[in-house]
Amino acid sequence: MTSLTMIARVADGLPLAASIQEDEQSGRDLQHYQSQAKQLCRKLNAQSPDRCTLEAGDMNFHYIIAQGVCYLFLCEASFPKKMAFAYLEDIHSEFYDQYGRRVPTVTRPYSFIEFDTYIQKTKKSYVDSRARRNLGSINTELQDVQRIMVANIEEVLQRGEALSALDTKASNLSSLSKKYRSDAKYLNTRSAYAKVAAVAVFFITLIIYLRFWWL
Amino acid sequence: MTHQPNYSPMQAKAPAPPGPGLYPSGPYQPVPPVSSYQPVPPVSSYQPVPPVSSYQPGPPLTSYPASPGQPLLTRPPMGGLPSHTPPQSASPSPGPRLPPAQATPPPPSVSSSSYYQNPQQPQPMAPSWQYNTAPPPMGPPASMSTPPRGPVANHVNPAVSSTAPPPPSSAVYTSAPPAHVSHSATQPPGPRMPPTSAHGYTQPGTVPPPMNPMAPHTYQPSRAPYGPPPTGPPPTMKATPPPTGPPMGNATPPPPKAVGTVAGNGPQAPNSYNHVDNKMAGLPQPGPPGRHLGHYPSLPPGYQNTSTPHNTTSPMHPAMQAATQPYTQAPQPYQQPPGGPGPAQLSPSLAAMSLQSSTPEALRVVNLLQERNLLPPRPIPAPTPCLPQDLQKINCNPEVFRSTLTSIPQTQSLLNKAKMPLGLLLHPFKDLSQLPVVTSSTIVRCRSCRTYINPFVSFLDQRRWKCNLCYRVNDVPEEFMYNPVSRSYGEPHKRPEVQNATIEFIAPSEYMLRPPQPAVYLFVLDVSHNAVETGYLNVFCQSLLDNINALPGDSRTKVGFITFDSTIHFYNLQEGLSQPQMLIVSDIEDIFLPTPDSLLVNLNECKELVQDLLKSLPTLFEKTMETQSALGSALQAAFKLLSPTGGRMSVFQTQLPNLGVGALQSREDPNQRASAKDIQHLSPATDFYKKLALDCSGQQVAVDLFLLSSQYCDLASLGCISRYSAGSVYYYPSYHHQHNPAQVECFQKDLKRYITRKIGFEAVMRIRCTKGLSIHTFHGNFFVRSTDLLSLPNVNPDAGFAVQMSIEENLDDMQVVSFQAALLYTSSKGERRIRVHTLCLPVVNSLSDIFAGADVQAISGLLACMAVDRSVTASLSDARDAMTNAAIDSLTSYRQSVLTIQQPGLLAPACLRLFPLFILALLKQKSFRTGTSTRLDDRVFAMCQLKYQPLAYAMLMIHPSLYRIDDLTDEGALNISERTIPQPILLQLSVEKLSREAAFLMDAGTVMYLWIGRNCNPNFLSQVLGVPSYASVPDNLFMLPELDTAESQRTRAFIGWLRDQRPFFPSLRVIRDESQWKASFMQNMIEDRTESALSYYEFLLHLQQQISK
Repeated sequence: MTSLTMIARVADGLPLAASIQEDEQSGRDLQHYQSQAKQLCRKLNAQSPDRCTLEAGDMNFHYIIAQGVCYLFLCEASFPKKMAFAYLEDIHSEFYDQYGRRVPTVTRPYSFIEFDTYIQKTKKSYVDSRARRNLGSINTELQDVQRIMVANIEEVLQRGEALSALDTKASNLSSLSKKYRSDAKYLNTRSAYAKVAAVAVFFITLIIYLRFWWL
Repeated sequence: MTHQPNYSPMQAKAPAPPGPGLYPSGPYQPVPPVSSYQPVPPVSSYQPVPPVSSYQPGPPLTSYPASPGQPLLTRPPMGGLPSHTPPQSASPSPGPRLPPAQATPPPPSVSSSSYYQNPQQPQPMAPSWQYNTAPPPMGPPASMSTPPRGPVANHVNPAVSSTAPPPPSSAVYTSAPPAHVSHSATQPPGPRMPPTSAHGYTQPGTVPPPMNPMAPHTYQPSRAPYGPPPTGPPPTMKATPPPTGPPMGNATPPPPKAVGTVAGNGPQAPNSYNHVDNKMAGLPQPGPPGRHLGHYPSLPPGYQNTSTPHNTTSPMHPAMQAATQPYTQAPQPYQQPPGGPGPAQLSPSLAAMSLQSSTPEALRVVNLLQERNLLPPRPIPAPTPCLPQDLQKINCNPEVFRSTLTSIPQTQSLLNKAKMPLGLLLHPFKDLSQLPVVTSSTIVRCRSCRTYINPFVSFLDQRRWKCNLCYRVNDVPEEFMYNPVSRSYGEPHKRPEVQNATIEFIAPSEYMLRPPQPAVYLFVLDVSHNAVETGYLNVFCQSLLDNINALPGDSRTKVGFITFDSTIHFYNLQEGLSQPQMLIVSDIEDIFLPTPDSLLVNLNECKELVQDLLKSLPTLFEKTMETQSALGSALQAAFKLLSPTGGRMSVFQTQLPNLGVGALQSREDPNQRASAKDIQHLSPATDFYKKLALDCSGQQVAVDLFLLSSQYCDLASLGCISRYSAGSVYYYPSYHHQHNPAQVECFQKDLKRYITRKIGFEAVMRIRCTKGLSIHTFHGNFFVRSTDLLSLPNVNPDAGFAVQMSIEENLDDMQVVSFQAALLYTSSKGERRIRVHTLCLPVVNSLSDIFAGADVQAISGLLACMAVDRSVTASLSDARDAMTNAAIDSLTSYRQSVLTIQQPGLLAPACLRLFPLFILALLKQKSFRTGTSTRLDDRVFAMCQLKYQPLAYAMLMIHPSLYRIDDLTDEGALNISERTIPQPILLQLSVEKLSREAAFLMDAGTVMYLWIGRNCNPNFLSQVLGVPSYASVPDNLFMLPELDTAESQRTRAFIGWLRDQRPFFPSLRVIRDESQWKASFMQNMIEDRTESALSYYEFLLHLQQQISK
């Protein structure tokens, strides 16, 4: 099964550890997902929901954010969500135990790459269908999994762009309305002039009429 | 010249890829634009992570402009010696006078792309290997007029011109200076202000200003006669009286400039003096004339006389002289008192000193036919580029980065005239004792050419720097303003990046396409009957067991094993098993992995299983009768296993693969070895191995091949697997655990080094050079991914590379050019790092300066690489001819263009005096020799080594060192860590140097021979060898007994010291007259005649004959 696990610091998106498992049969291009994962880590901030599932085609990104660290897991959409989050929780507790205190100080990317070994082992126990049965206990712990927000990866990555598009549209609109307003004013004055002119013509004609026919 | 025709097609001095400035994007894949770098909190940290708070927001700017003399700020100007084209009227060089042939050069990529192409298509070996075929058009007069790099020359007698003004010349000169000035005026503001920079340069020297006025006095008398000087006594140490007479003899009015540097006789002064000295001398002088005086060339014969003894007694090497540069000034003040005495009255040492600066030692004319004893007593150091001292001080170490010409010609036509190859030799991943490492969230690079900031950039002001490769002006990022070393703000030019020519960066995540891979080692072992016979498995398993904890890596390190004969055997080493599980796959046509997860295992977790396996492996196959070898399938299986992560595959093979894919046939006919007109089968028989290697390269897998065999194994085909995947090849001919203990020891030591040495994974290397230069051919083991990007799945500290270059655009306005090699790799600890080397070299516009800067070792090394290519694409005899022609052409060019007096004999500048010897050595080297019986695999292996070994080791293989070691003394010994290492002098490789009463050590790189004379001093025999007499010296003696005598200790210290200097282990062979190794020892006697090859003297005669044609 193709999967990608990544641990990053939320503050600046610095990757701390990662583990990749490629599957020969699927032949999927992980490169694309990797760059998406990197972008995602950079987009996330303290305001992001701390548990979320993002759909990206037939793959899903699951992530949790805890203590300023984001744990991201990419797997096939068919992989049970519960399991994915249980796995992330597991990784989180171990990672926090081992490296939690050093997270804010590191500057080098993948400083804790050695955590890869643990990730792989843990993943194996979660992914392996035979081992999965032994993990029945987790079911109870994770009832709230249904409430986890689901969004589309494209939306998240492009949320910024959408907002700016909205902004331009709005400003367009306001400039258009301004134009409309000035145009309307202009039209108003024109029609007023036309009325005055019509009245004037009428009276002049009247005066001339009176002048020549009555006198 | 019969060879000449060969040359013409080669003309194509490749137009090569666009200059570095044009490279569109970042070098390392999709690096996002700089702007997108995210400001990481810990802003920058140079090893000691500086507290961010220490940033000084204060007004940093003031100090910077205040000190114009700061050499760092005003780098490029080189003391305001802009290309002195003004007087160029007669100079033949400038201008794009490319010969027509060059107008139609093959596309740049051709030569490098030859790697992609089917090697069997005979591809006319690309260009640059050859220089112009036609004899250079310019006659001696032309050369006379070439200004030798402006005022560069004899600064010593600056006053001469003012006092002895030959009208024409002075006219030329006076006109020159203005041009010069205006030239600099047009330079972009900033660094190029000549006065400033010159000032900067003078500072380092401690030159008393008064010295200049003095000079005139001493020189005046000598200057007076313009006519040909009396062909006085032989000026230098050579015997031929007429030749060395100051070339100035010809000097008609225009000469001054020409002769300056050309007057090759001046004994010593290396070129490198000129810049500094010139400035020192010239500056105090009020006007430009002062400088130009320097050109007065001629040295009175009397001078030369006096200087001679000095020279002969202490032939200083240029490099050494350069080191003493500042001191040469000292004597000058002394010249004052004499007040104008003829030079002859000066004490010899004074004269010698002053002469030093007038003619570079490198250009001293040497008549090779007359002077037999040219070999220096100690190994030759690399020449020092002729750069201002402050630049040279921080320049890249020549062991890491070296150029064939330490002075780069200004134009391609000039380079063609010099007929020397232009190229770089690199040893980028060399183990360094000191390497500054920088951690920083932004790595400062040029925005257009992506050059890393380096010591040779110039800072326009505090906020902007100018790239020294593409000349784009870039901003200095805020973070760079803080200097973590000195903890100060506002001194970007003091950052470690700008202070070190070799530096390593910890790469931010933009430089990673994927998380750094773990260290992965896969061993693929031949266990056929033949392999078991050799007994190598024992040695291998034992070595790996001993060093398993020294395998570079971290807690993620993975290992795996595959063995093969006619089937493939995998080993399941998964944690939890009680013992290793062998899985046999007999379907070699369609190979698959039985249990993909558990074949490559974490070394830390499964160490016991791995150790179990290594202990049982040798016995597992003891009884095997399987003789076939399915190497191709085993490689495919190994590739499948490694492809998800990448890593290193070590393949041990003992016979010709003869089953399944990649099976080979024997192509060698032993009877033809000596007699064949031309050597066949130097190219691979199948492209299977190359294709597989390219697949490996794509998946970051490198294949190292250990070939242990007594039979023909077709290394030419098998070697491709390592060549294109950036692996290395080791070859142990006739390996046997009992019959050949020397090879066993060698294999053991090599394995130890191999297992424990540093390693870089998923690496790429890019070499950039200043706009105008272009790189067109690469030599070494790698795959060329794009025009200048070398893909190196693995990089190891023992790999060398060479590149050939051409000059695309004239380097008119440049004083210096720079080259930068950047190697991005993942360390075994999972860190992504970038190692950057930057080399800076001066640009010159006269042939004599080019010759003066020639690095004969580098040239020979590069020629060897080119010749290997040529032997494969064309034929061996072609390659041999080409090498001979290289020597003929460059010496012809020297004679016709630089020498002003035609004299008999074979003349060479001192810096090239060993060139013919090295060429002859190459012709007699295993790779290229003909006539003697050489096994094809031996030859191909020698060729691989020439291309792959760093220059220092390759030179030993080309020209071994011979020492007399029965009389070692502590005189002049080195003292290294409390060990005294005697330093015997180098002897020429000629039997006449051997004597029956002595013992000699020949160091041929991979092997050392200790030759014992028949009547050798019995003291030596007993004290060092521990035998009573010559007759009792054992036949198979491979190591010296550890005797507790002074002689024994000295000898062992010396041999141990030689061995420590190289990464591989040279085995020692003690030989007597009747020993089986005597033949190979004698074959290294390069200067002697053999049945099929010329002696050195005959070779020189041959050269002379060709040259005078």
